Amino acid sequence: MLRRLLKPFARFFEFHARTHYRAERHSMALTVGIILAAGVGGFVEIAPLFTIADTVEDAPDMRVYTPLEQAGRDIYIREGCYACHSQMIRTLRDEVERYGPYSLAVESKYDHPMLWGSKRTGPDLARVGNKYSDDWQVRHLMNPRALVPQSVMPQYAFLQDAPLITADLPDRLAALRAVGVPYSDEMIANAGVDALAQARPDSAEAGGVFERYGDETAVRTFDGRTDRVTEMDALVAYLQVLGNLTDLPDAIQPEVEE
Amino acid sequence: MSSLTATERSRAFMITMTVLLGGLVMAAVGHGDPIGMQGWVVILFTAVVGVVLLKSFDAPDPVEDRSASYYDDPTRVGIIIALIWAVIGMGVGLWVASMLAWPNLRFDAAWSSFGRVRPVHTSGVIFGFGGNALIATSFHIMQRTSRARMPNQVLPWFVLIGFNLFCVIAASGYLMGITQSKEYAEPEWYADLWLVVVWVAYFILYMRTLARRNEPHIYVANWYYLAFILVVAVLHIVNNLAIPASLTGAKSYSAFAGVQDAMTQWWYGHNAVAFFLTSGFLGMLYYFLPKRAGRPIYSYRLSILSFWGIVFFYIWAGSHHLHYTALPHWVQTLGMTFSVMLLVPSWASAGNALMTLNGAWHKVRDDATLRFMMVAAVFYGLSTFEGSFMAIRPVNGLSHYTDWTVGHVHAGAMGWVALISFGSIYALTPVLWRREAMYSWKAVELHFWLALSGTVIYVFAMWNSGIIQGLMWRTYGETGTLKYSFLESMIAMHPYYVARALGGLLFLAGACVGLWNVLMTVRHMPRHAPERDYPTSSEATEPAVPAAE
Amino acid sequence: MSVKERDPLTGHQTTGHEWDGITELNTRVPRAVWFFVFVTHLWALIVWVLMPTWPLVTTYTKGLLKIDQREEVEEAVIEANLARADWSEQIEALPAEGIMADPALALRVNETGHQLFGDNCAGCHGLDAAGGPGFPSLTDAAWLWGGDTDTIMETLRVGINSQHSETRFAQMLAFGRDGILTRDQVRVVADYVQSLSNPQPASERLVEGAEIFAANCASCHGEDGAGNRDLGAPNLTDAFWIYGGDDESLFTTIHNGRKGWMPAWEDRLSLTERKILAVYLHERRQEADR
Ligand code: HEC
Ligand code: HEC
Ligand code: HEC
Ligand code: HEM
Ligand code: HEM
Ligand SMILES: [Ca+2]
Ligand SMILES: [Ca+2]
Ligand SMILES: [Cu+2]
Repeated sequence: MLRRLLKPFARFFEFHARTHYRAERHSMALTVGIILAAGVGGFVEIAPLFTIADTVEDAPDMRVYTPLEQAGRDIYIREGCYACHSQMIRTLRDEVERYGPYSLAVESKYDHPMLWGSKRTGPDLARVGNKYSDDWQVRHLMNPRALVPQSVMPQYAFLQDAPLITADLPDRLAALRAVGVPYSDEMIANAGVDALAQARPDSAEAGGVFERYGDETAVRTFDGRTDRVTEMDALVAYLQVLGNLTDLPDAIQPEVEE
Repeated sequence: MSSLTATERSRAFMITMTVLLGGLVMAAVGHGDPIGMQGWVVILFTAVVGVVLLKSFDAPDPVEDRSASYYDDPTRVGIIIALIWAVIGMGVGLWVASMLAWPNLRFDAAWSSFGRVRPVHTSGVIFGFGGNALIATSFHIMQRTSRARMPNQVLPWFVLIGFNLFCVIAASGYLMGITQSKEYAEPEWYADLWLVVVWVAYFILYMRTLARRNEPHIYVANWYYLAFILVVAVLHIVNNLAIPASLTGAKSYSAFAGVQDAMTQWWYGHNAVAFFLTSGFLGMLYYFLPKRAGRPIYSYRLSILSFWGIVFFYIWAGSHHLHYTALPHWVQTLGMTFSVMLLVPSWASAGNALMTLNGAWHKVRDDATLRFMMVAAVFYGLSTFEGSFMAIRPVNGLSHYTDWTVGHVHAGAMGWVALISFGSIYALTPVLWRREAMYSWKAVELHFWLALSGTVIYVFAMWNSGIIQGLMWRTYGETGTLKYSFLESMIAMHPYYVARALGGLLFLAGACVGLWNVLMTVRHMPRHAPERDYPTSSEATEPAVPAAE
Repeated sequence: MSVKERDPLTGHQTTGHEWDGITELNTRVPRAVWFFVFVTHLWALIVWVLMPTWPLVTTYTKGLLKIDQREEVEEAVIEANLARADWSEQIEALPAEGIMADPALALRVNETGHQLFGDNCAGCHGLDAAGGPGFPSLTDAAWLWGGDTDTIMETLRVGINSQHSETRFAQMLAFGRDGILTRDQVRVVADYVQSLSNPQPASERLVEGAEIFAANCASCHGEDGAGNRDLGAPNLTDAFWIYGGDDESLFTTIHNGRKGWMPAWEDRLSLTERKILAVYLHERRQEADR
């Protein structure tokens, strides 16, 4: 019985082994064989993600990152925060109860690259936006152990002293547009100005930020200093927008009640 | 260098100067951007290579008949470089491990934060140590199993040195904050481009050597090395597609976003495991284990089955890194099922290796070098079993994001990748340098026990911490609400992080002993020419059909 | 090497090839391998039929079970909500004392409150709720807005100086920076504030401090400095400090002002959760007293 069931495999393999025996005499035959065999899986799994429409949900209110937030994101990337923090709440009850609505694909549709992460040495950050005050974020980044004595997170005090470089922001936004983020010409042209203005609520240019990125945009002195705009401003602006780019997850998911 | 002819030396020098020029351009245009610093790294690196070349520039051409010997100089250099990277990479690993136990164990400077140093460890061990070991052993094996010398003397140097330039750019870049934050593909666009050049050269070298072979059939080890070279090229190119923000800056943005980026990244990440950390090292195993054991491969047919099984099934498994995420459910199902089917060819290779030892178990007992390989095969079996298990969705629900993954990684990386490399290096060193034996067999024995105990401590610590962490995150109290906060799970990790650092210390000590032993062998052991270690013509006759018995 | 040579040890045939001394046996694939191939493929096949699996250009096979991870977790959440409904309703309805009198509900408060506090509040107030510089201790007797559960719940709902539209608002003015007091005056009144909780022999300086206090501070902190819970102005006569009672902290407080930021939890935590936290804090308070 068992032998009969296994027979088809063995027969297929007999054919396979003969083919292989011939192929292993020609390095090009092996090359082609390997590329073909290894090509199938990737194609079948990746290509449909571009063609199946409901892979990424529709969220009309989804907005792009402001230049300041994008600059903060670039700092997050630079410092390798993904090594310890995920930005992906999984579809598991305990994650939804701890961190909030599970993450939707649309929430990272402007994320080049995505920062879903693969290790949680620290907590998930997908919805950390507005969970703490700017002041807390700044103090925490300056010295995590001053606020959370048990923390193993590194201190990033130098961010507070590093003035934010805005000169290359138009280039960065333009590159992002080239890979699919819908930045307008105006957004790109004003990227540097907008980045500074978002951290200077009293400046004349602050209005432009609301105009281009919506009234909900957080325009504040994120690092508590009015004299200059630092990398700390950018990183905190990014952290505070995490989970707040669209309301869709909240709208479609049942609320956790206790 | 003395084995290069004057023409070859000047050709090599020209290539070096071209790259140096590239570095100069980077340094000039990238003023004020980190890419400028990277330009200086390139300049420094190529200047050192240039000086080494210049030193023997006027030496007379070698007189011996080249076709009568294999070309081993690049292999020798590659082995030493691999061991140096091992010490660096694992040293940094130990530092990184210690930072998680004692977070203030760092310098008060941006470059020394965990997030910047960690990729120095991962790239240092995977690409620096693993990559160099793979390139060096592949040079050795492709010549021996083809009974042919490499076709060219500059190309292998270009591959080896060029690859190390990539590693140095990568590691120094991370410390400066240059990274794409794509795990295992962190280097920025210009480094990615350079690696493509090096890799194409590697492929050409491999194919041309195979083309010169004096044996009609290509040995199994070469199938695996070929798969390693080819698939890594495809993975690398696709996953690193990106648009630089400017050609004079380091920063680029991935061509893909969100869910498509995640899938591409883990298609890459998982198959970096498959084709870098598995396929290439299986090639190593398939040569050095039977050679050292003096036994025929247990089953040619099993080799066929496992080779094509691994090449075909592995590619589908990447989505097991994205279970329960915003990746559509159907892709996760594919990843899970193919990961489980993959176990059979994986175990078939491990089994094939272990069965090959039948009749040689007494050697395993007496010879630490062979024992390295045997234990590596066991860890290979163990980590692939664990991997297939963790790929099952509900299991992954527990293990994902926790130290369990890190434990699995190191069962594979230390137990399999590093042990097979060390075993192969011990088998290879005396042959390469024409020595009688290793300088100290006791040191090999010591290294074996340090490595084994280090691995076991590391892996057990991480299994414990990972499972505890995973359980604490999802434990519900009597009243149906979560019992522990995240902070408590983090505090519970401390003792395991300390234990892990201890395991890492032992493992690192072993690697240092290994480097020392190899250097002493090169320096102090008497010369001894191995029998018949030169290209010959085939003696094989062609069997009609490979029928089963 | 001749064709079909046999390995003397195992008796198996070799393939007839040799590479640098390595030969291969032509042993057949062990039946166990076929068995596991069969089992894993069969399992995969079953999963493919049952679960969403194969992409079809613009859609994918949904599987006989019609399962999707999102529906699964949403059902799990709803089910969990239902299973807890009993508890939740009781907790929402009962006053703090009533809850703690019922051992089952008390257990719930302790367990759940512990986790909720650890995940949401410990970052500022510490795992033990003892606070830290800038973040008030929640275990001491000093409350800015009041320590009964209703007040705590309201604080949790709207936050303090938060983005909530009904947020509690509390600000300590920047007397020095805004030029209301000179640096010297700030130092003098700081000494006076210290003397409130740490009585010192009368001196001219303290009298001057008292005058400055009466003119500038009493409107919020009260004539006697005992604070005003309507304004969230802390009691300055007790030994509990948010920002610290040493010279330097006091100077900074009075010179630069303070405006603590306590997040609003209405959107993040449910009513029951906030109630649990309020009762939980109430308990910690009483424990600290004992
Ligand atoms: C070594 C690992 C590590 C690195 C690297 C790291 N963190 Fe953390 N992070 C932690 C840990 C552990 C915690 C939890 C303890 C705490 O709050 O400090 C944490 C907490 C946080 C929190 C609070 C989350 C919450 O909900 O309580 C934020 C925000 C944060 N980190 C941001 C960052 C940013 C931004 C970076 C990079 C610039 C970073 N982290 C790098 C380990 C790390
Ligand atoms: C971003 C930091 C932060 C977080 C997170 C936070 N708090 Fe607070 N909390 C504060 C600050 C700051 C104050 C004091 C505000 C002030 O100084 O006016 C405060 C005040 C309070 C008060 C009022 C104390 C009084 O004396 O009246 C209560 C009660 C409280 N917090 C409870 C909580 C609870 C419960 C949580 C978690 C759900 C929490 N806090 C999370 C910062 C925080
Ligand atoms: C507009 C009302 C107001 C006035 C006037 C005012 N305070 Fe305050 N004060 C507050 C509030 C509200 C807080 C709590 C701020 C916080 O916690 O964020 C506070 C906090 C303080 C603290 C910190 C207490 C601690 O626990 O660390 C001190 C000290 C203090 N005030 C002293 C003074 C002195 C001295 C004056 C007069 C020079 C003064 N205040 C005037 C409202 C006021
Ligand atoms: C001295 C021995 C070693 C020590 C102390 C060590 C330590 C570490 C530490 C602390 C981490 C980070 C884990 C985390 O973020 O929580 C790590 C990650 C990693 N290490 Fe090692 N390691 C060692 C050897 C190796 C070797 C030999 C390899 C590979 C050949 C390797 C490959 C990796 C990989 C791939 C990761 C990333 C894992 C992941 O992201 O899941 N390590 N190692
Ligand atoms: C049949 C073979 C294998 C399978 C099915 C497998 C499966 C898995 C799974 C399920 C994970 C966890 C993913 C997650 O939850 O994030 C993982 C992680 C990992 N595995 Fe394996 N594994 C296999 C073999 C190996 C081997 C031999 C190595 C050798 C070095 C290895 C290295 C890694 C690494 C480095 C990671 C961490 C990736 C990350 O950074 O998140 N795996 N593997
Ligand atoms: Ca990882
Ligand atoms: Ca890259
Ligand atoms: Cu994987």
